[in-house]
Amino acid sequence: MSEPIVCAARPAALEAPGGLESPAEAPGTGGTRERRRRRSWRRVAYGGAGILLALGVWQVAALVIGDPVTLPTVSGTVRELLHYLTHPYPESQGKTLVEDALISTGRILAGFGLGTVAGLVLGAAMAGVRVVRELADPLIAVMRPLPPIAFIPLLVVWFGIGETSKVALLFFGVLPVITIATLGALDAVPAELVNASRSLGASHFHTMVHVRLRAAVPGVITGMRIAMGGAWTSIIAAEMIAATGGVGFLILQAGNYLQTPLIFSGIIVIAVLGFAFDGLLRLLLRAADPTTRHS
Amino acid sequence: MSGPGASRTAAPEGAPANTVVEEPRITERPSAVRLRDVGKTFRGRRRRTSALEGVSLDIEAGEFLCLLGPSGCGKSTLLGILAGFVPADSGEVLVDGRPVKGPGPDRGVLFQTPTLFPWLTTRQNVLYGPKARGALTRETEEEADALLETVGLADFRDAYPHELSGGMRHRAAFARVLINHPSVLLMDEPFGALDAITRAGMQRFLLELWQRHHMTIVFVTHDVEEATLLGDRVAVLSGRPGRTKAVVDIPLPRPRAYEDTETLAFVTAKRRIREVLER
Ligand SMILES: Nc1ncnc2c1ncn2[C@@H]1O[C@H](COP(=O)(O)OP(=O)(O)OP(=O)(O)O)[C@@H](O)[C@H]1O
Ligand SMILES: [Mg+2]
Repeated sequence: MSEPIVCAARPAALEAPGGLESPAEAPGTGGTRERRRRRSWRRVAYGGAGILLALGVWQVAALVIGDPVTLPTVSGTVRELLHYLTHPYPESQGKTLVEDALISTGRILAGFGLGTVAGLVLGAAMAGVRVVRELADPLIAVMRPLPPIAFIPLLVVWFGIGETSKVALLFFGVLPVITIATLGALDAVPAELVNASRSLGASHFHTMVHVRLRAAVPGVITGMRIAMGGAWTSIIAAEMIAATGGVGFLILQAGNYLQTPLIFSGIIVIAVLGFAFDGLLRLLLRAADPTTRHS
Repeated sequence: MSGPGASRTAAPEGAPANTVVEEPRITERPSAVRLRDVGKTFRGRRRRTSALEGVSLDIEAGEFLCLLGPSGCGKSTLLGILAGFVPADSGEVLVDGRPVKGPGPDRGVLFQTPTLFPWLTTRQNVLYGPKARGALTRETEEEADALLETVGLADFRDAYPHELSGGMRHRAAFARVLINHPSVLLMDEPFGALDAITRAGMQRFLLELWQRHHMTIVFVTHDVEEATLLGDRVAVLSGRPGRTKAVVDIPLPRPRAYEDTETLAFVTAKRRIREVLER
């Protein structure tokens, strides 16, 4: 058993007709990569064209309507957006768009981050410990369909209109989504994958970390993407109801004063931030799951 | 090149074709696998399923043993017990003289569907075992490359499992097990899901490999022809709960090839197994 299991020349039997197929074109070489790059450029070009088309329709509609309070022109909106990026609104004791965006982003990062960590721990505990699963299952089942914004008044009563209530809102919105995603992903790891790892000589602990948890990562990231969408919904609502800053607060202020271009500006900022965060999570998913890489 | 496992049943070249030379069995040599009265019952919520009852079997080192039996008779369960994935309820399970306490790299397992790690490339999959055990060296890496060459996946070493065909995944799983130099290979209907042509290729490949390295192989199948082609002996299990019904010797010369399946000796051997199965 000491000789290495390798032969210098492949036995003739392997080359015989009906034997193992000869290696064909290896993936990721010349032709495929070229085609893939062309396809991704194509996607960017068409995506950009779609957005330009929508902006064109918007501009024409605005010109036809001719009332900037109902629908400002694209150029007018962009002018407002650029202006308020660095100028406060309302002029006295207001904040710039950048400041409001940073406030909202900070809340998202804190609430989403804490909720994700807690959801990961809870989901993993439920997957690993029977009692925890039985205890937490009904709670999660009840919590999940509840819209988090229903809790805003309660959280304001408890924590005031400061940061704590916002972070708590996001936390309780994100927690069940991540918990369920983590639990589902861990449950879905095939037993054979774990068995294979153990029979290749990996320890229990190594298998837990490098196979069970590793195999669950794509599912968890997909859960994070879903939770991120919900988090933006919650935080904007909370900022509209009870806050003194943030993009939601700005949009509400602008609405109160019929500053339609500024409403649009706020919406654009949310869109850009949401897109950016989802893009980061998508990159993470691509890094974690090779099957998602070529699309 | 030919060791005890291969020469035991092979007719040496030059010997008259009708004399099958058998080495006497050395009884004091510990058998590679020893099963004594192995029983296993699964307790579900409502029903108890007796999967195995009183299975006894000795497998010699270097032997190619096929495990044959009707569906649901506990073949996979028995293999799982040997691999150490599930404990037996009763009886004695020894591999290389030691009781089986859990899974280990001395027993390579090949599943019906190749279970490669989807986030690792072919080469990383092959190196998983040595890496997990902290035994990754320059030599192991070179051996992995050579193994990939042997199984015909050298050009796919950096491909991910989803980029491989079914047969290629099997060969990658093979290489991943072989790098551990297991003394026993446990195979659970490994080629069941493959088309006839790929399957014949894999059978040939397996025989090649076994003849070169004299591992002990326990090969589960419910294909009588496959069992006859591959095995030194065929252990036939009865229907649920599985017991060893009979162990049939296959006195066909080695090396065997797919063309032999049409010879009279082959057909006779096949018929004997089928008779035991239907008994
Ligand atoms: N984890 C389990 N829990 C309960 N019952 C089980 C479990 N695993 C197997 N069984 C039962 O044990 C019996 C034997 O199953 P096993 O998978 O070993 O059969 P098999 O011989 O491999 O069948 P096949 O040829 O169809 O693969 C079956 O009746 C099955 O229902
Ligand atoms: Mg089975």
